[in-house]
Amino acid sequence: MKRVPTVAWRELRSLFVSPVAYVLMSLFAVLAGLFFILGVAAFNAWVLQLQQYQAFDQLEKINLSDHLVANYYDSIGVVLLFLVPGITMGLFAAEKTNGTQELLLTSPLTIWDVVLGKFAAGAAFIGILVAMVAAFPGLLFVYGDPELGKTLTGLLGLLLVGWTYVAIGAFASSVTRSQVVSFLIAFVLLLCLLLLPAISDLGVLGGAGGLGDALKWVSTGEHLQQMMQGLVDTSDLAYFAVVIGSFLLLTKASVESVRWR
Amino acid sequence: MIEAMNLSKRYGDVVAVDGVSFSVGRGEVVGFLGPNGAGKTTTMRMLTGFLPPTDGTARICGHDIFEEPLEARRAVGYLPEMPPLYPEMTVTSYVDYVARIKDVPRRERRDKVGRALERCGLADVSRRVIGTLSKGYRQRVGLAQAIVHEPPVLILDEPTIGLDPIQIGEIRQLIADLAGGDGDSRHTVILSTHILPEVEAICRRVVMIRDGRKTVDAPLAELIRDGHGLEELFARQVSHDAAQDVAEGRA
Repeated sequence: MKRVPTVAWRELRSLFVSPVAYVLMSLFAVLAGLFFILGVAAFNAWVLQLQQYQAFDQLEKINLSDHLVANYYDSIGVVLLFLVPGITMGLFAAEKTNGTQELLLTSPLTIWDVVLGKFAAGAAFIGILVAMVAAFPGLLFVYGDPELGKTLTGLLGLLLVGWTYVAIGAFASSVTRSQVVSFLIAFVLLLCLLLLPAISDLGVLGGAGGLGDALKWVSTGEHLQQMMQGLVDTSDLAYFAVVIGSFLLLTKASVESVRWR
Repeated sequence: MIEAMNLSKRYGDVVAVDGVSFSVGRGEVVGFLGPNGAGKTTTMRMLTGFLPPTDGTARICGHDIFEEPLEARRAVGYLPEMPPLYPEMTVTSYVDYVARIKDVPRRERRDKVGRALERCGLADVSRRVIGTLSKGYRQRVGLAQAIVHEPPVLILDEPTIGLDPIQIGEIRQLIADLAGGDGDSRHTVILSTHILPEVEAICRRVVMIRDGRKTVDAPLAELIRDGHGLEELFARQVSHDAAQDVAEGRA
């Protein structure tokens, strides 16, 4: 386990000497900024509208945390869905094309050292992205008073969502040699995860307690919602731990499988 | 230092390596010969712990590859057929990384990395990015990676492939130096190749395999004593087998 940081550090350094990290960060900064501006504009328009209609009872109810920041975090979750496969696509696929997989598997490293090292590198990159996101609601504190608690738990939720995506992306990268294929597999898996609640909402799978509810539980969205409400529930944390853990296990098995063939 | 005991590898119905046994002592340089597809790379991959044998086992410096895999791997420096390089890293940072994952203690790391670069003639390009290096230099970086932790056993899969004659000479000299020296610092080397003069130049023993089976295991001097070159022996092996194939209706 003491070699996990070594593997992680190399991975991060490689990300930052290649254009991938910078392209992704720039793209992310642009999208995060764009969604923020759009969010603020929509919020403003809404408030103006309510004032024109003199709907004071509604004006009482709206606030920055629930009607601006939460929506904004939601959008960022979708942006991550597109970007994370770009971060993770090379994690294992590149080791295969470089031939360095042979170096790793003949070194006194365990497969867990490799898998956790790579996950840690991806997780650290997500940390940087979430720090960038934090700047935008940070601005709101200058001009308004959103709730600090909800803002922070929402960021924590985004971080956990990002880490979940990294674990899924790492698995996608471990099953193929091609970075393009890896990107597509990760993207499709994440998209399915996003769409699960929509399927559940169709109602064809039965009501409360049925398969529909189970699908909702599997999707990241529901758990992110909870955290944006300021609720850090053990069951939500457990959800992220279970999904991340399962995909890391799958990744480990997939990396190890070269030895079974 | 290396004991292969009845090593076998099957992929489904295909037998890649079939009961190969041999042992190599300290400071020995063994040439591992055979036609393409004979099972040389597979055998080396089993010795390095990359692939588990389907049958049999091996001991590296007394460590069984199944029972003490990490110790066995720590004792081996391995240069695969395709040097395992990260093209975006610089030479020094790459070799330093390998030293870290091979458990070289922090205090010795700087010295050992410097020594490996020096020995492989990489001191001048140590700050260059690997992706910009020529093939010859990349091969040397691959070799530096294999020797950086100063392992007692070196396993080199076609170490001089794709190099020009001068570079080939340098690499051979390096291998000879690694196996020479005195006492415990002598490396045991197995190298695979199909360049026969290379074997004559640096190996003292030859292990030949074909179709996954060991066919020859003898000191080089014995093989070339009767005036026939190694080339003739190799050709005889292959053609003998070809004739046998015809007889058995395989060809």
